[in-house]
Amino acid sequence: MEIAVLVKPVPDAETRLRPDAGGSGLDPEGVKWVLAGYDESAVEQALLLKESIPGTSVRAISYGPLARAEEVLRFAIALGCDAATSVEQPAGAPDDPLVTAAALHLALSKRAVALVLCGKQAGDDETGLVGPALAEMLGIAEYGVAVNVRWDAASSALTLQQSVEGGLVRVRASLPAVVALQQAWNDPRTAKLPNILKSRKAAIERMPASEVSSAIATVQALAARRLAFRLPPPRTGAKMIEYKSPEEAAERLVRILREEAKVFP
Amino acid sequence: MTGALALLERTAGGVTSASREAVGVARTVADGGAVVGLLVGPGGTGPASGIPVDRLFTVEGPGLTDPSTAQYAALLSHAATQLGVARIVVPGTARGRDVVGRLAVRWAASAATGVTDVTLGEGGSLRITRPVFGGRASETLELPGPRQVFAPKPHAFSEPSAAAAPAPSETIALPDGFDKLPTRGAEGFEPTAGSKGPELGEASIVVSGGRGLRTPESFRLVEDLAESLGAAVGASRAVTDAGWRPSSYQVGQTGRSVSPQLYIAVGISGAIQHIVGMVSARVIVAINSDPQAPIFKVADYGVVGDLFPIVPALTKEIRKQRGLPAGPTGSGPG
Amino acid sequence: MVDFALTSEQTSLRDMARKFARTEMAPHAAECDRAGRFPDEIYRKAWELGLMNLNVPTEYGGTGLALFDQCLIVEELAHACAGMTTSIIANCLALEPILLGGTEEQKHRILDPFCAEYHLASFCLTEPSGGSDAGSLKTHARRDGDHYVLDGEKCFITNAPFASLYTVFATTDPTLRHKGINAFVVSRDTEGVLPGKEEEKMGHRASATSTVRFEGARVPVANRLGADGEGFSIAMRTLDQTRTPIGALATGIAQAAIDHAAAYAKRRHTFGKPIAEHQAIQIKLADMTQALRAARLLTWEAAWTIDHGERGSLESAVAKCFASDAAMRVADEAIQVFGGYGYMKEYPVEKLLRDAKLAQIYEGSNEIQRIVIARELLQRYA
Ligand SMILES: Cc1cc2nc3c(=O)[nH]c(=O)nc-3n(C[C@H](O)[C@H](O)[C@H](O)COP(=O)(O)OP(=O)(O)OC[C@H]3O[C@@H](n4cnc5c(N)ncnc54)[C@H](O)[C@@H]3O)c2cc1C
Ligand SMILES: Cc1cc2nc3c(=O)[nH]c(=O)nc-3n(C[C@H](O)[C@H](O)[C@H](O)COP(=O)(O)OP(=O)(O)OC[C@H]3O[C@@H](n4cnc5c(N)ncnc54)[C@H](O)[C@@H]3O)c2cc1C
Repeated sequence: MEIAVLVKPVPDAETRLRPDAGGSGLDPEGVKWVLAGYDESAVEQALLLKESIPGTSVRAISYGPLARAEEVLRFAIALGCDAATSVEQPAGAPDDPLVTAAALHLALSKRAVALVLCGKQAGDDETGLVGPALAEMLGIAEYGVAVNVRWDAASSALTLQQSVEGGLVRVRASLPAVVALQQAWNDPRTAKLPNILKSRKAAIERMPASEVSSAIATVQALAARRLAFRLPPPRTGAKMIEYKSPEEAAERLVRILREEAKVFP
Repeated sequence: MTGALALLERTAGGVTSASREAVGVARTVADGGAVVGLLVGPGGTGPASGIPVDRLFTVEGPGLTDPSTAQYAALLSHAATQLGVARIVVPGTARGRDVVGRLAVRWAASAATGVTDVTLGEGGSLRITRPVFGGRASETLELPGPRQVFAPKPHAFSEPSAAAAPAPSETIALPDGFDKLPTRGAEGFEPTAGSKGPELGEASIVVSGGRGLRTPESFRLVEDLAESLGAAVGASRAVTDAGWRPSSYQVGQTGRSVSPQLYIAVGISGAIQHIVGMVSARVIVAINSDPQAPIFKVADYGVVGDLFPIVPALTKEIRKQRGLPAGPTGSGPG
Repeated sequence: MVDFALTSEQTSLRDMARKFARTEMAPHAAECDRAGRFPDEIYRKAWELGLMNLNVPTEYGGTGLALFDQCLIVEELAHACAGMTTSIIANCLALEPILLGGTEEQKHRILDPFCAEYHLASFCLTEPSGGSDAGSLKTHARRDGDHYVLDGEKCFITNAPFASLYTVFATTDPTLRHKGINAFVVSRDTEGVLPGKEEEKMGHRASATSTVRFEGARVPVANRLGADGEGFSIAMRTLDQTRTPIGALATGIAQAAIDHAAAYAKRRHTFGKPIAEHQAIQIKLADMTQALRAARLLTWEAAWTIDHGERGSLESAVAKCFASDAAMRVADEAIQVFGGYGYMKEYPVEKLLRDAKLAQIYEGSNEIQRIVIARELLQRYA
């Protein structure tokens, strides 16, 4: 079976955030683009499934400016994905989850993919909408956020585990389906150096911007318009509780939580 | 076109607090029109009594005890079309967020999640604000009309006050082709050993412990504190990496992102990878022996000192204030 | 021309090493340092990920990186723990003589199985009676038919207690001085190969160092590298290759020292403001930064020179010597920025000073590097 895993380039977590000149988005100057954290969990899950289901191949798909998308695709290949497709973001296309879903739909509608894995949300815009929107476009099931996906060879079915209050819900997924990953059961693997070297030379299938433009034309009208990008006022540092004994510290803290912060249950 | 539709998600005997928050937000975006609640599945309208909606739609059918996101999306777009409303507010739970994605496509609406502020914009648009980059920044977006669907961020809006009388309710029919939609396929539930608290991602209070706890046994101090507050338990990666607690406890860049009303960090230094997962909490308290620990930079309140006497004293004080029996009821071994 | 922009391939190699360093090495650095523990599981993982035999070409099962790329990786690893890095790159040092002096047959016979699994190797040159004066080795190799019989003792040998393979330098005739020295590949299984007990060290405590005694160890002639008497030249050419990564290791230590010091300086307040706002501290940080950047550039220059086919004796000696002196100075100043906390084992900077010290000593002490530099320099004047 073929598994597709959606990978998004996002600014590295240590990026120093700054609004751009227009004040409506992130200043891309000096930003290092890396594979989104939850997407890395999705890649790990895809590779674990590939290792447990004979005849499975994994294709990584990324939508974005070409250079960035290809960089995360090479990373996915270095981790063990078999193939990659980059869906080029047309210049001026809005950054909106519905537009992204439509672009990825173009890449997916052409292949018989049994399972689409993605991260629960990307570390930049954190919408979590691409997976469900894509599922609706493909007309297939979508099972929400899973912490683990297992292949049951006896019944040829996928079992997901989802974290809910007090435990885990087990869900039997029928394919084709979209599943979002929260954190892989196992930590995402580290790419081996020789595989990184090989991934630099791997062929990447490209969907050119011209084709993508027409695929996203209709949803583009729904895209949100960015008005402002702001940094929160810097936290001024903690107000320190003065105390002479642990009991006094506890008493004072509880009083503050109740009377000043108003968060005491 | 005024009015708004809000999805009410059932829980045992009631609806989720996120549903009540959604109703409150729906009032803001209804622009003077009616706020209609949609309650799905068996269980009667009891759970919705006191929810301040103007009308209540209910729908029943096979398999609707635990609907799939596809089913929710179909029901919502069906109800909205019937009502002629152009705005749908979905509770900000994990499932709610997925419903937004499907519904946006199905109903051809602009969409957003994690909304912390919303006002009416020009020409039928909405202006919404939402945190991005784990709360390290926020963006303001214009969601174009004619249709919008969005989910508020949990705890970002207060719950509306309860209605005096139940709203008139009516049952709506299932849309055509409903039986062909994917169902949810839930099969079983496996309780997590020892974890009785609320789900980490949705809890309104989270207590997290770090390497400062020193041993897996003393991590119990954090769990006891959480129990006294009815809070969920989290951990830094130092703790999950060392295997003191499972990785599902991890808060941060590669763990869970949480945005509770109150986050208490015990013996956590405040590495950037941890901070991105909790910085959007409304109030942050840090307990750490190192006055220079970076966690104090993002905390609102700090206690500098040895956690080993302070945390039990705090647990005791909280139990006293909340009228709970003195000793913890025992969440760990024994 | 030198181009300072890293290619995207180099960036991804460096990022991978950084991730390994931060997630696998750094969390255990303090513990291994304190306990003097040799974290075999981390080294095994480094091997699995291709971080171990960086200099061995892929046809023999190594990673086959240019020296420049090796340096990018070594700097990242050393940022997390210089001691672990020493043990990880010890294979490069031990295998380089085979790459330089071995025949095709020897390379495949020895390296293919060695690289295919997790194995450690040790480079055995230094002896108790002296390390700097490598021409007057005492370890003796006596020809006996198609074997040599080795007798003698090596000391301060990295990874020796755990190695499965040793490259050993020994003399067939002490009167010939340099010309009597040969290089041998000796398997740990050989009878009469006796690694000693681990030394207690000041720094690099996650690495293991011990003596190795040879008591009548019989080594096939087929395991001699190069022509008879070529051993000394092989040793010197090996060190020309491996000195530069020591510059990178020292650069990694210096970078770590600056990272800790700068972050601390912004957090620590005295006289009502962060110490980073006191000019005396700023000047320290500025000087540390200059030393760091010069160290890195000299290391890159040496690697680049050697990658372009030159021997680079001068460049690599300059890089190793300057970078290790710089690391020592920078680590020293980092402790000063931390004040009393810097002197405490609970804080990470005192380890950096102890670790930096070794870089001034091993792979040719900095005195010897200066001799090399002066010799190379003076040769250029009539
Ligand atoms: C790629 C990557 C991803 C990561 N993702 C995450 C992530 O998702 N989540 C995460 O948490 N980390 C993550 N990390 C790890 C992160 O960098 C830190 O290493 C980690 O958060 C440190 O955990 P800690 O604060 O518990 O431990 P430490 O940094 O060791 O801090 C322990 C604290 O306890 C205090 N303390 C000690 N004794 C006492 C006492 N008796 N009383 C009071 N206080 C005491 C100390 O002063 C110290 O501040 C990631 C790292 C990397 C490289
Ligand atoms: C932790 C550790 C790991 C090591 N790993 C290895 C290994 O894996 N393999 C290996 O073969 N060796 C290894 N060594 C040995 C190391 O390379 C030697 O210690 C080093 O070459 C110096 O030799 P020595 O200790 O015998 O000092 P000596 O040669 O006795 O020198 C003593 C001092 O005199 C100076 N000196 C010597 N000759 C001159 C001169 N002509 N002019 C001016 N000054 C001079 C030296 O610089 C030094 O300051 C290791 C050492 C350590 C501490």
